[in-house]
This record gives sequence, structure tokens and C-alpha cells, in this order.
Amino acid sequence: MTAIQERARRKRRDAVVRVVGVVAATAFACWLPFQLDSGDVSLYDRMGLYALVATGLTLLMGFAGQVSLGQGGFFLIGAYTSGLLTVGLDPDSRLVDPNAGIDPVLAVIAAPLVSAAVALVIGVPLMRLRGHYLAFATLAFALIAWSLLYAQDRFTGGQYGVTVTKRLELLGHQMTGASHAALVWGLVGLALLLSTTLVASRVGRALQAIAVNEPAAAASGVNVAVYKLQLFVFAAALAGLAGGLFTFYAQFLGPEDFVIVLSLLFVVMVSIGGLGSFYGAVVGAVTIVYVEHKLRELGTRETLLGWDLPPQGPSILSLGVFGLLLITIMLFFPHGLLPGVIGGLRSLRRRLRPGSRT
Amino acid sequence: MTTFFQLVVVGISTGSVFAIVGMSLVLVYRATGIVNFAQGVFAVVGGLVTYSLSQHMSLVLAGLLAVLVTAIVATGVAVVAVGIRGRTTHLASLIITVGIAILAEAVLLAAFGEVPRSYSAISDRAWNVGGVLVQPQYAALALVALLAAFGLTLFLRRTIVGQALVASADSPRAAELIGLNLRSIAVIAFALAGALTAVGGVLLAPTVPVSYSSGLTITINGFAAAVFGGLVSIRLALLGGYVLGVVEQLVVGYVDPQYNLIIALVVMLVLIGWRSRGELAV
Repeated sequence: MTAIQERARRKRRDAVVRVVGVVAATAFACWLPFQLDSGDVSLYDRMGLYALVATGLTLLMGFAGQVSLGQGGFFLIGAYTSGLLTVGLDPDSRLVDPNAGIDPVLAVIAAPLVSAAVALVIGVPLMRLRGHYLAFATLAFALIAWSLLYAQDRFTGGQYGVTVTKRLELLGHQMTGASHAALVWGLVGLALLLSTTLVASRVGRALQAIAVNEPAAAASGVNVAVYKLQLFVFAAALAGLAGGLFTFYAQFLGPEDFVIVLSLLFVVMVSIGGLGSFYGAVVGAVTIVYVEHKLRELGTRETLLGWDLPPQGPSILSLGVFGLLLITIMLFFPHGLLPGVIGGLRSLRRRLRPGSRT
Repeated sequence: MTTFFQLVVVGISTGSVFAIVGMSLVLVYRATGIVNFAQGVFAVVGGLVTYSLSQHMSLVLAGLLAVLVTAIVATGVAVVAVGIRGRTTHLASLIITVGIAILAEAVLLAAFGEVPRSYSAISDRAWNVGGVLVQPQYAALALVALLAAFGLTLFLRRTIVGQALVASADSPRAAELIGLNLRSIAVIAFALAGALTAVGGVLLAPTVPVSYSSGLTITINGFAAAVFGGLVSIRLALLGGYVLGVVEQLVVGYVDPQYNLIIALVVMLVLIGWRSRGELAV
């Protein structure tokens, strides 16, 4: 067998291993919520929703080298798209006509499409930007989306929000609680499969070339602008899908669920796992949701380590911890907390191995 | 027409704050290459510390102390934001300052609570100029912005320290070769910018109450003003601040107060698009 054939064979085998691995992990992730009690299911569901957003963002940041501080904006657009389509776009008929909206399934499908469409429109000018300009521009986009909730309060309910009573029904089965979580994690698995396949393909090699050296990639005939735009749209669609599903998870949409800090949190999630690491993004999302939950528990106590906690305890703790986390990661583990720690452990083990010289 | 001029006067006063923050951002960017996302926080620190101290002492003394405190805080921010030599890129520094802005919200919320704070202005009378009311506070803000623009331009062009600041961002290697300490340079720039922004915050609080979360909007508006001058021009940042302030007030007066921030952001996006034409990726 020639070397080329050998390589092709190994590549096919790797692909099979990857697909089987992701499918098995997804099956487990979908089975898990049925074993948890309802409080944990809610937490687990949120982890999955944020993992969807983080998967898109890690693709964008890791492969196109584009920092987006605006993924929360796409999440918001997805959520309000599915929410408002479900309750009915016309605010006057919402209360009187129970059939004002469209089927929740269609509404959820519309969510990523609308987010992707918005990304396509704003992406053409945005993807030409880099560095701090891009960071501020994406943040501005998220802030505009958030401000529009108040400015267009006739449609969005402003600070009072929108209550969505209709349930998501798939094949005659109500998607609430554990089955909603299973659906979300199934989609996380699908997103991972799509993303890893994308990265392993010709497209992926082009993306990696862009990440390493953009001018060189462009000189080799890679259409950098188009690839970046595609990633931006894909990441927005994932965030929109997560938002669309969030509507039927929370059954209520209000501005507090989409605060601007959320966009920054997605960046923290991705930087925990390392830019461009899909499994890292999932780990990051799971970690952040879990830590936030634990901090909320701590923050609602009367006292903590002898200190009297004010009523804003939960916000103080979570803002403080996430701020510190972001600073620490960027200072000491710019390639990701997880890869940094694993690399550190590896070099430690190499040093501790008897007879080895450093 | 009186309404129009009244809105312009108010716009120039709020625009002065954007200009002050914008010029501070320009100063830090020209000295270190870092865009400080936490710049608006310094205005909040200035305002809130003044409010707390004014319970125990005269307002003027409280304001001066607040500026000093903010400058010290800014030194700390500088050391963290610059990061590790040779490892922390400018983009990483930006994200670090994002982290600092988040952390600052937590600290400010814990220290000062969530109620927006305000205190009495320089004078509670207002000059009546042909039907348009001009408060001395507005005049003070505009004056500080003008003085700062003038002073900073002179400082960067005519003084040794100013030249050193500019040189170290232009060519860090060369600056180190001639014996400049980049970290000290960053500390000087951040402290100066922090003090300037704090002055803006101290003067802003009587007209617009500040709370722990006001920093983000102030940073965004200041950045928009700075982008007007491509992040490097002090004079254009001043002009950008005025334009932005006036446009926002006209929107508040004639369109809908709800659209105030949205318009500012759209203006900023257009400016960013216009300013970055030259640095296209491919």
C-alpha cells in the first residue's frame, strides 16, 4: 500500500472514530436529563443552550480570528423571533386571539434563519474590521438589539417582557423539562458534528490557514472574506437557534435574560476551553452555568465568611468571579484555561518521571 | 428655535464628557496601543467616590480626592492591562480591560449599592442667554474638555514625557532600546487618562446621576468620539464628542428619548466603517 493510500485510510478511520464518538456522547447527553431531578434538568438545559452559542463562537474566534462581543445579540434575536412569532406579531390581537401566532416548531426554525439573515447583512461590513474595531462594533450591535427591546416595547413588551404559554410540540410529544433538555443536547451534538466535519474538510484547512497567516492564505487563493462571513453567519445561526429554544425553556422573555454581560460571558466560556476547541467550548459553557448557579446559591445567603451580604449579593459574586476569571485566563492562559492546565500537568509529569532530565 | 439651541447647549455639555473620555482613550491608545474598555469606569469611580466623600467634607475637596483615588486605581489597571511582556497582545489587553470593567461593576456595586448617585452642582442658578438656559455646570464641562484638548496636544507634542509616550507605542522595540520602560510609560498614560476621565465623571454626576453600571455606556460614547479621530487625534476626538453629544440630544428632543443610545451606536458603527477603510483585511 502506498503512503498516500495509507494516509487516506487513516483519515477515513479518524472520521469514523470522530463521528462515532460524538454520536455516542450525544446519546448519553440526551439520556442524562431523564435521570436528573427537575431543578438539575433546568440547569442542564441552560448548559446545552449556552454550549450551542459557544460552539459557534469558538469556530469564529479560533478559526477566523474574529472576536465577537455580540453573540448575545444573536441569542436575543433568536429568542424574540421565536417568542413573538409564537404569540403573534400584532400586539393587539395577542390577547384576544389565541391562534394569533404560528406553530412553535416553525417559530423555532425561523429563529436561526432570522439571526443568520441579520448576520449576513451586518457581516459584510463587520467582517472587514479587525481587533478592537470589530470588538466594539459587535458589542454595539448587541447593545442596539438590547435597546430596541425598550424602544419597540409595543412589540417586545419592553421591561415587562413577553409570556409564551404555548408549548413546543414535536411529533405529538410536548417538549418540556427533560425532553426539551434532550432536544437541546441533541442539537449540540449535531452542531459539534457539523463543526468538526467542517474543520476536517477542505474548508477547515482554508480556515486554519486564515487563522495562522491571513495574507498567506489570501495569496494561496483562499477567499478570506467569504470564509469569514460564512463562519460569522453560521455562529449567528447557532446563537439564534439557542435563543429560539430558550423561549420554550423559560416561557418568558424579558430584557434581564439578555443583559450585555451575557455576550461577554460567551467569550469567557470559549476562552476557558481554548479558541477553536469545540469540546472546550462545551466544557466552558457547562462550567460557567454551574459556577453561576453555585454563586447564586452563595450570594443569596445572609452572610458569607462573616460578611453581611447585600441584596445584590448574587450579581456582585458572579460579576466579580467572571471578571477575575477573564483577566486571569487572558493573562496566564491566552490559549485557553483547559489546554493551559492540561499542558502544565503534562510537563509536570514529564519532569517527575524518574530518570528523565529536564 | 429656542428648544433647538437649548438642546444644542445640553448636547455640548454631555458631549464634553464623551470628548473627555474619548481623549483619555486616545492618550492611552497612543502610548500603549491598548484600547481601554474600562475607561468609562473611571468616570463612575470619580462620581461615586465624590458622592461618598462629600458626606464628610466639602464638595470641592471630595472631588479632588476622588480624582486622586481614580488615578491610583488607574495605575493598578495599567499594570494588569499591559500584562506579561512579550506574551500579552494588544487584543488580549483589550479583553483584559473588558474583564476589569466587569470586575469593577462588582466592586462598585458592593461598595456603593445600585442607586444612581448625584450631588449639587457648582451653582444652582443658570444664565439666561436669549431664552436658552446655560447652567454653570455645563460651562465647566465644556471648559474642562477644551483645556484638556489643548493641554494634551501640547503635552504630547512639546514635552519629553509626551514624546516618550508616543514613541513607545510607535515602536516598542526602539523605545526600549533607548532605555524607556514600557510599563512605566503605560502607568503614566493610564494614570493621566484616569485622572482626566475622573474629572469628567465628577462634573457629570450633578447633571446625570451615575451608578455602578454607567461605565459601559460612557466607554462606548467615549470610544465613538475617539473613533472620529481614528483613535489617534486629540482634536478630532474633542470634535467627535461634541457632535455625538449634540446629535444625541437632538434625537432626545425631536425623535424619541428611547433612541438616544441607539443613534449613538449607529453613528459609531458608521464612523468605524469609515475609519477602518484603510486597514482592510484583504
